[in-house]
Amino acid sequence: MNDQACDKPRHRYALMIDADRCIGCHSCEVACKMENDLPAGPRPVKVLQIGPVPGACGPVMGFQPLTCLHCDRPACVQACPTSAMQKRSDGIVYSDPDLCIGCQTCAVACPFGIPELNPGTGKIAKCDGCMNRVDQGLWPACVLKCPTGALTFGSPARVVQSTRQQKALRIVQYMTIESAALNTP
Amino acid sequence: MIGCAPLKRIAGTRKAHDRPVRTVCRECTLGCGLVVYVKEDRIVDVQGDEAHPVNRGRLCTRGMAFVQGLTHPERIMLPAARDRIDRPFLTLDNVDQGLDLLAERLQQNRQTHGPESLVIDCAPEAGLDFFLGALRFARLWETPHVFHPLAAPQEIRFPAGVEMSLTPSREPPENGCLFLMEADLATTHPVAFEWVLDAQRRGTKVCAVDTRFTATLAKADMAAVIQPGCGNQLGMAILKEFDAEGLWAAASAMNPMPESKAWAAVCRQLSVASIENIAGIRPGAVRSMVRLLATRSPVKMITGKRPAFFPHYGIWPAIARGTGVGWHPMETGWPALGAAIGSVFGAKHDAPAESATDFGRRAADPVSAAVRAAPKALVCSDDSLNKFLPAFPSLTADMDVAAYFGAFPNKTWERSHLVFPAAAWAETEGLWFSHDSALQWGRRVLQAPHGCCSGLGFWARLAGRFGWGDKFPWSNANGLADHQAFYAWVLSRYPETTGIDAARLKEVSVPIFPSPEQRKSAGWESPASSAPSKIGSETVSDPARRFPLAFQSTRTICGHGDAGRWWSWLRELEAEDVVQVHPDIAAALGIENGDDVRVAGAEDGCRAKAWISRMVNRQTVWSPRRLRADRVLIHKRGQSPEEAHRILKAML
Repeated sequence: MNDQACDKPRHRYALMIDADRCIGCHSCEVACKMENDLPAGPRPVKVLQIGPVPGACGPVMGFQPLTCLHCDRPACVQACPTSAMQKRSDGIVYSDPDLCIGCQTCAVACPFGIPELNPGTGKIAKCDGCMNRVDQGLWPACVLKCPTGALTFGSPARVVQSTRQQKALRIVQYMTIESAALNTP
Repeated sequence: MIGCAPLKRIAGTRKAHDRPVRTVCRECTLGCGLVVYVKEDRIVDVQGDEAHPVNRGRLCTRGMAFVQGLTHPERIMLPAARDRIDRPFLTLDNVDQGLDLLAERLQQNRQTHGPESLVIDCAPEAGLDFFLGALRFARLWETPHVFHPLAAPQEIRFPAGVEMSLTPSREPPENGCLFLMEADLATTHPVAFEWVLDAQRRGTKVCAVDTRFTATLAKADMAAVIQPGCGNQLGMAILKEFDAEGLWAAASAMNPMPESKAWAAVCRQLSVASIENIAGIRPGAVRSMVRLLATRSPVKMITGKRPAFFPHYGIWPAIARGTGVGWHPMETGWPALGAAIGSVFGAKHDAPAESATDFGRRAADPVSAAVRAAPKALVCSDDSLNKFLPAFPSLTADMDVAAYFGAFPNKTWERSHLVFPAAAWAETEGLWFSHDSALQWGRRVLQAPHGCCSGLGFWARLAGRFGWGDKFPWSNANGLADHQAFYAWVLSRYPETTGIDAARLKEVSVPIFPSPEQRKSAGWESPASSAPSKIGSETVSDPARRFPLAFQSTRTICGHGDAGRWWSWLRELEAEDVVQVHPDIAAALGIENGDDVRVAGAEDGCRAKAWISRMVNRQTVWSPRRLRADRVLIHKRGQSPEEAHRILKAML
C-alpha cells in the first residue's frame, strides 16, 4: 500500500510514555490542539483517568496518555479508500488532508479508535507525530510541553537507554538512602 | 562511570513569525517563562522558555491556551451602560463616556450614602496594577472596602522565626518530607508539581491531604482524604499527636515561641473521637503523618488557600514555629508586599478575626463586614462578584451603580450597570510577583485593542475625574498608563525591593529574588497565629441535618481564572455541569453514571450529570460549578428530596 515507497528513508523515532509520571494535567492534549489549530471535538492525544479504585493501602488512581500507536501494519492505511492515510518511512502514520474525503473508514478500521473527524474541516484529525516539526528537527508539541516529563521523544535506542539509566539511578538512589538510614545511629 | 544525560530537548516553532517575545505567564502565581511568536499582531505559537529556571520549557494548559481568549468573538471590546440590571446594555462610544457616567454616579452615591458605601472587588485576572490602583483610589475616596482573594481574609505574613524561603518549585529536592495540605499542585500548578515529583524520585517522602482524592494524592507516598473545611482541625490533631508522642515539648524547647504552649494546651482539649468524627480521618493516619514529619527532617509544609478561610488557620505557623519545619502558604497574601501594602497604599483593612470557633464554621472576614455596611456602589473585576463576594449578587439590584471591569461577559457582568473592557495580561506589561517572592517583568506581547484599558489606566482616568490626577502621575506622552514608572515607584516603596528597579527587571529574563536581609528588614509578623482560648463543640448544626452532604467546588483544568471558560479547548476538558458522587451514595440513591441529578442547598442549587467516583468520600459531593452552599442534598430526577433525605440520613 502507501508505505515507504513515496518518500526517502528516514530515521525512525520513538515516543515513550511513562504513565507513572503522568499527573493528568492535559497539557499534551492542549499542546496538540494548539499546534494543529483543532476545534473542540477531536483529541489526537487523550489522557485517560483510571480510578480511583480501592487498593491494599488506600485508593489507587493513575493516568494514561493515549495517542496513535503508528502501527507497523496500520489497519487505517489499508482501509483508506483514497490513500489519504499513509505511513512514512520513519514510521509516522498520517492523513493527507488534500486526499481525505472524511468518510471515516479509517476510524472504523482502527482497533484503538484513534482517527476522529474534524468538524471544522470535514476531514480526519489524528496524531501525525508532529511530522512538520520533526522534519525541522524539533520535538513534537505534546512531548515538549509535558510538565512532568511523562513523554519522551528520540531514536528508539536513545529513548530506551535514557529510560534504563533513569531506572538504574533510581535504584542507586534508593539503595543509598536505605544504607544511610541503616547507618544512622 | 556511566552518567545519565537526559535527552536533549529541541524546542522552537515551525510556524512563520515576525518576532518572538520572551515574557512571563501571568495565569497563576508560579511565573513560568514563555516565548510567544507573533506575526502581524497575532500570536501564532506559544512555547515554554527553555532557559527559564521555573519551567525549563514546560507549560501547563492555561499557559498555552490563553491565546484563545484574546481573539474570542465574545470578548468585550466596547464600554456599555444601562440604568437597571434587568434592561439591555447600550453600547457607548468610548471609555471616557463610560468613566464620566461612573464618576457621576459615584459622586451622587457618595453624597447620599457616604464614602464607605463604595466596595471594590479585585480578581487576580485583572492584574496587580488593578488591585494597587484600587487601593490608591480607595484611600482617596476614604473607603476601607477593597478586596482581593489573595489578600483576604486571614492573611498570614512571614512570621519571625519560621523558615519561609518558600517555593513549591525550587526547594523540595533538599527536603526529607513534603507535606501538602489541601494544596493540589498537580492540578493547579502542574509545572511546580514536577519539582515535587523530582524530589520524590530523589528520596523525599510526599504526604498529601485533601478533601478529594486528587492527582496530587494519587502520586503521594502517604495520602488522606478529609472533610471539607476541616483542614485546620487536622493541623490541631497533628499538634496534639506531636504533644502526645513527646515530640512537641522537645521541638518547642529547641524553638521557643510564645504561642507554642498556648496552642499545645488548646489542642489537648481535642478528643481522638472528635478528630475522626469531624475531619473524617482515623487517629492512626494522623499518628503515621506525625511520625513521618518527625523522622524525615527537613520537612516543608505547603498549605493551600482553602484553610486560610476557616478558623484556626494560625495552627500552621504555630506548628512551623514549634517544630522548626518550613512552611509555604500558597496563594495567601502577597508574598513580597503583604505586610507593607496597607501602609504604602493606606487602605484601611479590617483586622482579620477568628470570632467563629465552632468546627466547620467560616471565620468572620472583611467581606462580611462590607455586607453589613450595606454597600450602594460597587466596582469589580472579572467574575469576582460571583466567586469572591457570593452575598453581593442579590444586593446589586438595589445599588446605585455596579461597574464591571473585565474581558468577557459573565455572572458579574450580568449584575452590572456599567461595563469597561479590560486589556488581557498579554496586552499589558508589568511586574510579576510569584509566590516564592521572585520578581519578574512581564513584557507586553500585543497592543491592547482600541478601547481596552489596563487596570492602572482605568483607575488613573477615573481619579482624574475627581481632580486626583496628580495622585496617579504614571502616564506617558500619549496619556496611557506608564507601567514601568508605576512599578518603579512601587518597588522603591518596600524595604525588601528597594534597589531593584523596573528597568533592570525588564532587561533580564530570569527572576530576581530579594535578598534574605532585605526580607528580614521588612519585619513580617503573623497576627493570626495566636491560639484560640478554647475550641467550640462539634455538635451537628441544623444545616448539616437538613443537608447531609458537604458540597465542594473547585475548578480543575481552568484553574482560578474565569477567562478559562472562554477557551474552548479547556472548556472541552472540564464539563461544568457534572457532580461527583461516591459509589455508595449513588447506589443508595439509585443514581447511575450520567444520570440527571438535582443538587440543592439552602440558598442555591443546580442540575447536573452524575459522575460516580471514589475521588470524593461518602460525606461529600463535588462539582466544578460554584454554588452558594456548603451543605447540600442530592437526588435524581423523579425522586423526591424527602425520600433522598431519608435514605441518606439512615446511611450517614
